Amino acid sequence: MNQLTSELTFLPQDARFYLNTFDDLSLNVSGQTYDNVTVERAFPLNAPDQFIIVKDDQGNEIGIIEHLYKLPKDSVTILQEALEQTYYLPQITKIHSVETNFHIPTWKVDTDKGPREFEIPSSRRDVRVVGGGRVLLRDADGNRYEIADYRKLDLESQAIVETMI
Amino acid sequence: MSETTHTTTETIPEEIQKNIATHLQPDEHIQLSITSDIRLDGTFGESWLLATHRQIITYSLNGSNTPHIVTLPLSEITGIEAKDLMGSGHLKVRTPTQGTTLARFTKGLNAKFNDVIKSLEQLVKDARPSVEDEKLVKGKLGRTAAGKRCDSCGKVIPHWNGVCPNCLDTRKLLTRLLSYALPHWKLATFSLVLLLTATFISLMPPLLMRELLDNVLAPTAENFVVKEAAYAQLYLLVGLFFLITFSQSGLNAIRSYILSKLGQQVTYDLRNQVYRHLHRHSLSFYNERETGRIMASITQDVGRLQDFISDGLQEIIRDVLTIIIICGILFSLNAKLAALALLPTPLLVYATLNFSERFHRTYRGLWRRWAGISALLADTIPGVRVVKAFAQEDREVSKFETRSEDLRDGEIRVAGLRSVFNPVMSFITSIGTLIIWFVGGGSVIEKTLSIGEFVAFTQYMFRFYGPVQSLCNLNHRFQRASTSAERVFEVLDTQPDVTDHPKVVTLPRIAGKVEFKDVTFSYEPSKPIIKDLSFTIEPGEMIGLAGHSGAGKSTLINLICRFYDIESGQILIDGHDLQDVSLKSLRDQIGVVLQDPFLFNGPIAENIAYGKPEASLAEIVGAAKAANAHDFILRLPDGYDTPVGERGVRLSGGERQRISIARAILRDPRILILDEATSSMDTETEAQIQEALYRLIQGRTTFAIAHRLSTLKHAHRLLIIEKGELAEIGSHDELIEQDGIYARLCHMQTELSKLRAV
Repeated sequence: MNQLTSELTFLPQDARFYLNTFDDLSLNVSGQTYDNVTVERAFPLNAPDQFIIVKDDQGNEIGIIEHLYKLPKDSVTILQEALEQTYYLPQITKIHSVETNFHIPTWKVDTDKGPREFEIPSSRRDVRVVGGGRVLLRDADGNRYEIADYRKLDLESQAIVETMI
Repeated sequence: MSETTHTTTETIPEEIQKNIATHLQPDEHIQLSITSDIRLDGTFGESWLLATHRQIITYSLNGSNTPHIVTLPLSEITGIEAKDLMGSGHLKVRTPTQGTTLARFTKGLNAKFNDVIKSLEQLVKDARPSVEDEKLVKGKLGRTAAGKRCDSCGKVIPHWNGVCPNCLDTRKLLTRLLSYALPHWKLATFSLVLLLTATFISLMPPLLMRELLDNVLAPTAENFVVKEAAYAQLYLLVGLFFLITFSQSGLNAIRSYILSKLGQQVTYDLRNQVYRHLHRHSLSFYNERETGRIMASITQDVGRLQDFISDGLQEIIRDVLTIIIICGILFSLNAKLAALALLPTPLLVYATLNFSERFHRTYRGLWRRWAGISALLADTIPGVRVVKAFAQEDREVSKFETRSEDLRDGEIRVAGLRSVFNPVMSFITSIGTLIIWFVGGGSVIEKTLSIGEFVAFTQYMFRFYGPVQSLCNLNHRFQRASTSAERVFEVLDTQPDVTDHPKVVTLPRIAGKVEFKDVTFSYEPSKPIIKDLSFTIEPGEMIGLAGHSGAGKSTLINLICRFYDIESGQILIDGHDLQDVSLKSLRDQIGVVLQDPFLFNGPIAENIAYGKPEASLAEIVGAAKAANAHDFILRLPDGYDTPVGERGVRLSGGERQRISIARAILRDPRILILDEATSSMDTETEAQIQEALYRLIQGRTTFAIAHRLSTLKHAHRLLIIEKGELAEIGSHDELIEQDGIYARLCHMQTELSKLRAV
């Protein structure tokens, strides 16, 4: 199996991420500098902090961050910010109501980014229960929301979620 | 596989024996005597085919009274022909100078005549031993195609049923079904006791009513009591009535819960047992059955059995019990009146049976009409382009209207039936009341019957008819439950044909040497797909399998995986006979990439790790990279966590193929099988996949099937299979030099690609 993992290029732990003068995410690794790099999670749901793929401005893979927290602390902060922007995923903290008009439910919720109202085009396709009470939502415009564990919401919200999943 | 053999010596009627006696020598004995059902002139009727060790005799009446007899010496026969024609079958023999039709028969006799041909062949061979090698028999009579017949009783099996209703041993099936409830006998007994009590209690109120009327409300002279005593009795009766209703409700609640629990538990055991057993079956089990039927036996059939155990069975017990108790009470109250009041019961039974038969028939017809409309819609809506292109909208609309009309008429008929049903039933049930009023009323006037008894009678009469009617449907209920039981037990009773024998060993990690020694295999007896195949593949070699469709390439691969057991010969892997190693340890070391890869519902990561659930994230990503899948996976919204399969993101054929390659890579198999892995790809995708595959095959014994021969360019050697036999083996250059089948195929494909290029 070593043969398999040998195909992967992991970034060394001294790789340093920073924002350059254009405020672009940049990488310095083994003496080489890459400006305007992008980061992607290989497992955004099940392992968001592992296997983060770093690509240069041409989209070519530079390497893989095996574990986010093994990087220097300032790099972690900057990467977290960048990932947060890429995977903008407001956390739903309370559900006020779900009203269904013409078969389209409209959710009124509070998120950690503020209150929000959105429509879910298909409850079957756009509401995904991932397991462990975790629910992922996608609204009519493609924005995504997450309920980390609906069983931990207040009872009223829980009751609403249970009718929708 | 269990084709019944027919006797080829039927008893010959005396008249025929007399007629043919002149044709027989003293030392001749009839070896074969068989009837067919079409005469040689084409009319239906019996005709005979007889044979001794010297000659064949046909005996046919051909519509006249004098029999038509033809004899043929066996020694002259050079060929026996079976002709399976469109509407009937013929049996014909040839001599060097002429051909004679021996028998004509309907399709139902095909199987019988196949046996006849075998016997005839033997007789001819015995008569002229010199021709042993010659191929005497030409053609074979096919299996009767249209309707499936029951093996034991010969009746046609309804296609929606799958089991022969005539041969169902309802009692045996139900006993077996109940045996599943045996482990839960405590619950079962408890619920039965509750059922008895509840039924008994529920029949008490009319008796209380009698007490109330006769002793309290309208007491007869001898029962007359003072006001206070009457009140005391009233309170007592009210109290009793309350107790009865209350305990009855309570008992019913507990009983229905317990029975549902029992039903659920029994079916839980059964359902899991069926599913576990399904996975022990070999591929042939699935090939012989429709997927839908197998699924139905787990979902519908088990569900129906549960209904039967938890509802049907107890309703039957309750109904019977109710009828008995009511009869008992009525007869003890007043035997003469009871006998009269029950007079309309046979009429009720008759009417119910009659109506329910009609209802079933009309509903079935209605259902067929609905199905017809659905079929029409399913046909024309996807084909709307054609309809429009040929401007046939009006015709399609009128077709629909015709069917819609049929449906309307059917529905109206059902409505008519239903509107007659209820009034008729209530009329019949009123007859009982009418009798009670007429006869009972007279008795009340004559003071031989109390008012209380009179009222109790009427009330019991009303309660009597419900159970009677529902018992009328008993047969139907049993039939449904036992059909389901039969199907479930059929799955359970079929023994898997590929299994580990008790002394198997675990196959150690292999190098990958594969040897075939005189392997013969067939899916159906007497039609070998692989014939005496022998070859040796060295570890790490890549073998390309080529040949015409149906030559046996896929079968060969099925045999390496031991999806089927071979008939004779040996397959050795690193010197271990496949039969002697456990299936799991064998298949753990085989990786398969199919033409149309199957992805399960779930994230991509899980699909890649299907053969190795404990794989680390690094291994999963590494395998995806090796399979050239990493880049496209990252482009998906959730990366490796993106759900795929039926309910997930739709992937293209090439993408799914690469995931299945990653699956195989991760498993790190010693023997790799590529079954047309790149045949449905465009050129660019194919190049990417080829690259991934090339990486995958390094150091593994690989078998690759391909129609496009260019995809076999990495192969060390090529096996060319022709009609189940090894036609050519060697490297590309060697085979081109040989100028055989492979060279011809290669040549044709180059020509084709030239054509395409032009």
